[in-house]
Amino acid sequence: MSGQTISVYRAEARKLRTQLATRVLALICVLGPFAFAGVLRIQSGSPADTLFGVWVHSTGFAVSLVVLGFAGAWGFPVIAGVLAGDIFSSEDRYGTWKTVLTRSRTRWDLFAGKVLAAATFAAGLLALTAISTLVAGAVLVGWHPLVGLGGTPLSPAHTLGLTVASWAICLLPMLAYTSLAVLFSVATRNGIIGVIGPALVALVLNLLALVGTGTWVHLLLISSAFLAWHALFTAHPYYGPLAIACVVSLLWTAAALTAAWLLLRRRDFAGTSVSRRPGWVMPVQVAVISAAVIALLAIATNWGPAGVTASRLRASITPTFNNLTLLQQQQLGRTVPAGAKLNVLPNCSRRASTPQGPGDWICTLTVFIPQPGAQPFQQTPVTYDVSVTADGCYKAESPPTFVGQQTMRDASGHSVVNPLFTIYGCFNTL
Amino acid sequence: MKRFETTLAVDRVDLSVDEAEVRGLLGPNGAGKTTLLRLLFGLIRADAGSVELFGRPLDPSDPASLDGVSGFVEDPTFYPYLSGRANLELLAELDGPEASGRIDEVLERVELIKRAGDRVSGYSTGMRQRLGIAAALLRAPRLLLLDEPTAGLDPAGVRDVGRLVTELSSAGTAVLISSHQITEVEDVCDGFTVLRGGQVVWNGTAAELRAQAPGSAYAMRTSDDRRAIELGSRHRGISVDLGAGDGLTVTAEEASLDEFVLALGREGVAVRELELRSSPLESMFFALTAAEREQGAPLA
Repeated sequence: MSGQTISVYRAEARKLRTQLATRVLALICVLGPFAFAGVLRIQSGSPADTLFGVWVHSTGFAVSLVVLGFAGAWGFPVIAGVLAGDIFSSEDRYGTWKTVLTRSRTRWDLFAGKVLAAATFAAGLLALTAISTLVAGAVLVGWHPLVGLGGTPLSPAHTLGLTVASWAICLLPMLAYTSLAVLFSVATRNGIIGVIGPALVALVLNLLALVGTGTWVHLLLISSAFLAWHALFTAHPYYGPLAIACVVSLLWTAAALTAAWLLLRRRDFAGTSVSRRPGWVMPVQVAVISAAVIALLAIATNWGPAGVTASRLRASITPTFNNLTLLQQQQLGRTVPAGAKLNVLPNCSRRASTPQGPGDWICTLTVFIPQPGAQPFQQTPVTYDVSVTADGCYKAESPPTFVGQQTMRDASGHSVVNPLFTIYGCFNTL
Repeated sequence: MKRFETTLAVDRVDLSVDEAEVRGLLGPNGAGKTTLLRLLFGLIRADAGSVELFGRPLDPSDPASLDGVSGFVEDPTFYPYLSGRANLELLAELDGPEASGRIDEVLERVELIKRAGDRVSGYSTGMRQRLGIAAALLRAPRLLLLDEPTAGLDPAGVRDVGRLVTELSSAGTAVLISSHQITEVEDVCDGFTVLRGGQVVWNGTAAELRAQAPGSAYAMRTSDDRRAIELGSRHRGISVDLGAGDGLTVTAEEASLDEFVLALGREGVAVRELELRSSPLESMFFALTAAEREQGAPLA
């Protein structure tokens, strides 16, 4: 990096530091997790729809991971937009391109310096949020063992390592959104579009993740990259989707920055009187092309092999159910021999015409309990409504008649989360 | 050459400014002055031709191309949410460590030191002009390019800018000042380049321009304008025409005007009003740019 780029970086970092929006964001990143954990502390409900959500009252790590799940879907795109969406367009709004471009700095120096400053602040706010969630979780809930996505408790030290790694993994897709914000800022020269653009992209990508049964397009979405960390918490972590998420994030980043640089490089700074005039043709063209691309992507979400299949779901939910049942029995004070295993016959089917793909599933886990007498086994069927997402993660819930209430009394008489009430799990879709 | 859609903004302009010279770049609105300055700063690319600064071709990809060059185009612009000092500190960051040490000095020089801590959003137009000059001086320029530096300044401010420019040129700085009002820069310029329709229509020293100037223009009202025009036609070195409104427009050197006024008195024509409308240089400027003004101004 040249000295010229560093000088631009310093100047841009200083501008970002002094801006009210940046300070407000930093405040939200620091105080938000404390507010979230504080609200959870005074109410009994939990954000059960989010992975690890039922455990927020049990361990502070769940607080951090729930915030990470929400931030990946909405928070990080907004942060990226606020930090980088106006970093170029503000020069147009204030008319200051001519001021900075006449200071012996090339366009490349200005581009690189601004991008680096935005990326640094984006990474900084991500780190700030991560630290804040961990501290808030530790202070208000405590760093207790977390039940992993394989149904087994993970030690606090192990969970801390995985949680920090999860936040770190999200840095790459965060930079991808930051680069998109840069592209919006350069291309539109409009701060409003630059700021809300990444959030709109996130909305579209999150919707695309809900449709289609194929894996190819889903793996190429930045939104999927924010979910790749789930694999770390499974009983047998898998790294294929994680590696793809990193590559996809880098590709989005490179594509957005390359496009932004090409636009900036060829631009004339001809002043207000001869700059392009606002009209309706260009916005309409952009809207039509965007709609066409989104429609095409929606169709393309069916391309490629199905990642969510009955066999994969069965293979994942059965051992998880087994582990959680044993955990429940231990919590109730019953003796569970080491390596104990239930005899479970799973049956999963999708509640739709297509037999595979993300969406609503139903799984019946028939437990064969050995018993003395003429009939060697007692069959106990447990039915779960399973909601599966395109990345292979699921939430399974069963009516209290099968598995009991959401909370139960452990052997010491304390109210604890019934591990079988809501089951979280993930499987490899590749 | 630079063209914007169908408008030829700058065409075959050959311009040089020597060390310690102050050159006025004159022309009405739309003559191509600002476009030429944008070309000199590398903000826009020429469709044809080249720009050389200190004998080096201007290369936007080479940060050293603009070393020693400073100034502003159109109105000076800053980040309004920052103070004047903070803006200069940001620019000094881009200019290098030496510039940082000059911030107080340049703020003193443009008499903004007391308001340096205020946000630029609260500055008047004149204060922004002065901050623009301060920002230019941060780079200790060898070539200073100023686009309408006196716009928005009160008479005292205009005088101060003139004094500053004179000081800088005395220290060896080459200065190019664009303006559409020759009266605001005529006292400080050593030479002038007049643009019309993107082309140079006159180029030379201030002395040459004065020598070619037609004389001052005056507005005159008499008791008998028709008789005054008739008498004027008999006098050498004077031109008397009907003015745009009431009265007459008289173009003459001072001595010829004196003779004409005395002649009017002798012939019983009373002079009721006599007012200087334009100096000789202004008259010359109007003559050189008349076609442009008649055609209208296509471009700022």
